[in-house]
Amino acid sequence: MSPSLVITCGTEPKRGSATPLDVVSHFFGALAQPFGFFKPSKGLLSELNLSRGVYSLLTSSDHFEFESVQHLAQALSDLDSIAIALNHMDSEEFAIWCGLGKSDARIHLLQLVYEMQQARIRAQGAQLQLDFTHNLPSTKALFRSLTQLALVGVACDSWQLQRAWSTSNRESLSKKWASKYESIRVFSASGVLLEREGLKFVFRVKWNGVGACKPAVGLVRNQLVVDVGGVRRFLELPAACSRMEPGSVLLSKNKFEIDFVVKESEWPRS
Amino acid sequence: MSEDNKDKKPTSDLGSWLNSMGAPVSITELMPSEITGLDIAPLLTMLGGVGIKSGVRGAHTGGSNVDEIRWLPIVRSQQPQE
Repeated sequence: MSPSLVITCGTEPKRGSATPLDVVSHFFGALAQPFGFFKPSKGLLSELNLSRGVYSLLTSSDHFEFESVQHLAQALSDLDSIAIALNHMDSEEFAIWCGLGKSDARIHLLQLVYEMQQARIRAQGAQLQLDFTHNLPSTKALFRSLTQLALVGVACDSWQLQRAWSTSNRESLSKKWASKYESIRVFSASGVLLEREGLKFVFRVKWNGVGACKPAVGLVRNQLVVDVGGVRRFLELPAACSRMEPGSVLLSKNKFEIDFVVKESEWPRS
Repeated sequence: MSEDNKDKKPTSDLGSWLNSMGAPVSITELMPSEITGLDIAPLLTMLGGVGIKSGVRGAHTGGSNVDEIRWLPIVRSQQPQE
């Protein structure tokens, strides 16, 4: 089955900012009502995190255009970040604070989160086309942005990449470069918690080629954050991790492991 | 705390934030002061804390909180092949 969505990187026309989607407008409109005003201004909406790329991903268009591979990766990263913030909004005291349950805001909130999930699924299954005609990055920058794309779950076919590169550049990508790139797989964003000894655990995440990506790894609430040059992917940790103290990250060629030590004060054993 | 400081509104109040985001002053003038004076720091921190790149301006409110990413030290494995 051929993918219904085509994403072209490197051909985005220079236009003004996109019009906010109805669902976004409805959401912020309903959220704002308990404060006593009807709708945030257009200026406010356009500044509220939703970069132009994120707007594009949320539309039902069959063809998206991004300025570069990096722009696509950043838009998907922002999409995930916003979805996590919105999920927190739905699950916490903030929901009470803003009167989420008393208006249609929650319906719009959940609809927006659903739209974001669907947008991610569509993007991951899309046919990716690269065009280096107007913007030819260095091979180092290209490797970085393709790594970021792999982090957010989008694959780029090596043969298609080589062809696009050769079309815009007389020289081919070197065999060494191609070999290094082909060693990196799309990040599946899954991991497993393993017991090492006594009160020590390790959360193991497999990602082929991660050692070459030089990621930063962090935690926010119950989410593991993997960051490559500002592009991020989130991975929900097992609930047990919230009662453990994280240590360092051991980074290998095809995996990384985070040390966790049980906080005995929070998890007493009888 | 001095009397002056007591009366100071938080810098992250809803009215100031709306204006800084480009909302017309006329909108905030229509809103009751108890609404425009709401401290929305928790919301801004939450949105900023998960690392939204294009970010909410003024999201940096200082201090530590549960929504800040705690970056972990990385140790590279010495094993050449795995």
